[in-house]
Amino acid sequence: MSDDVDDTDMTDTTTDAAADSEAGASADADSDLPPHRAAPRSGRLDSEERQGTPYTESQVIMPTVKIVAPFAFTFGLFITFHGSGSPGGGFQGGAIMAAVVFMIAFAFGIESTRDWLANTVVVALAVGGALAFAGIGLVPVALGGAFLQYDLLPIPILDPVKYGMEGVEVVGIAPIVSGVLMGLFFLLARGFNSEGSGFGNGSLGEDGSIDETGSLEEDAADAGGDR
Amino acid sequence: MTVSGFASPVAAQVTAIEASLLAFVVLTALATALARDVLAAVIVFGAYSLGMAALYTFYRAPDVALTEAAISAGVTTVLLLLTLAKTTRIDHDAVFEEVNLPAAGAAGFLFAGLLLTMGDIPAIGSPDAPVWSNPDVTQWYLTETYAQTHVENTVMAVLAAFRGFDTFGEAVVVFAGGIAALIVLHREVFA
Repeated sequence: MSDDVDDTDMTDTTTDAAADSEAGASADADSDLPPHRAAPRSGRLDSEERQGTPYTESQVIMPTVKIVAPFAFTFGLFITFHGSGSPGGGFQGGAIMAAVVFMIAFAFGIESTRDWLANTVVVALAVGGALAFAGIGLVPVALGGAFLQYDLLPIPILDPVKYGMEGVEVVGIAPIVSGVLMGLFFLLARGFNSEGSGFGNGSLGEDGSIDETGSLEEDAADAGGDR
Repeated sequence: MTVSGFASPVAAQVTAIEASLLAFVVLTALATALARDVLAAVIVFGAYSLGMAALYTFYRAPDVALTEAAISAGVTTVLLLLTLAKTTRIDHDAVFEEVNLPAAGAAGFLFAGLLLTMGDIPAIGSPDAPVWSNPDVTQWYLTETYAQTHVENTVMAVLAAFRGFDTFGEAVVVFAGGIAALIVLHREVFA
């Protein structure tokens, strides 16, 4: 397999042969470059070549998502809010609502969806859900009961047990699940941060070419997120 | 919620829907294991999860079916596809992986061993099945759920009320999973 790229120089290897065999290309590049640079480079170019157009405006996908997304989101809300009387609950409903965001990202582009759905929203969902769940659990403790002892919840008029459970599902579990799933999606779409601290510094980010797709947005998001 | 509503007469023979769903699940599972191309394996795995969700619905486990459809068929497939888009994918001529005979033998041995236990498993939906008929667990939850928690969905009552502290732990695990992904990928913000 590596015979056909033996005599080509590095540029030919990366442009022509990267798509069909980067295993052979990286093995050949060992003679020219140190091994810790050769493998990522050839793999990187192959990945770029396939991802040259990571997003295309499809006239089929966009209208479909426009029509389906409101219904899917409403279904997610129903599953979340109606978990006490029908199958479902916060976990399933939160996952469906996060899947709606994935759908929008596939139709209208991940980066524009990332800008539309700010990092603050994702973090607020995940952290707020965890704090709300813990808060609902700790209120009965403060009133002298056990953790999550719903009948001690100070809910007027309504049934504290039923609406305490609903509260856990709606403002606790569903935001955590949807927030974390959206966060994982955006994190995976951006990928590994080679400029960060730690073990990624020396091996991957040496030539600076690894992060060119996400570095600008990342800087903007970092600036916005830190303040 | 009543016993009579759930334990309807069980057909001794497999229905056509059930048989086709089972065949679909087995075929997609085999295709997932044998597909040479990773992208094809991911897509077939999504189809497998969808078949499992339909099967769970057929066996009257709608809570599990919803989770399987949303998490396994939807979210996991999307995350795997995203990961594939970020990595390299090698084009293959062959459609299927060559079968590794020792691995296939081990899997077949395990399959045969599990098959031996099938005779002792009660029929699906049988009212005499211990998991359904025992008065201390299943029947206790089914009769006590509405009296103690005032909700109709026993699954949710078990998760949020009877086992609420466990569910709090699970929610924190999900939250910690998001934080762990941030740390592993050297990021400080999600979006």
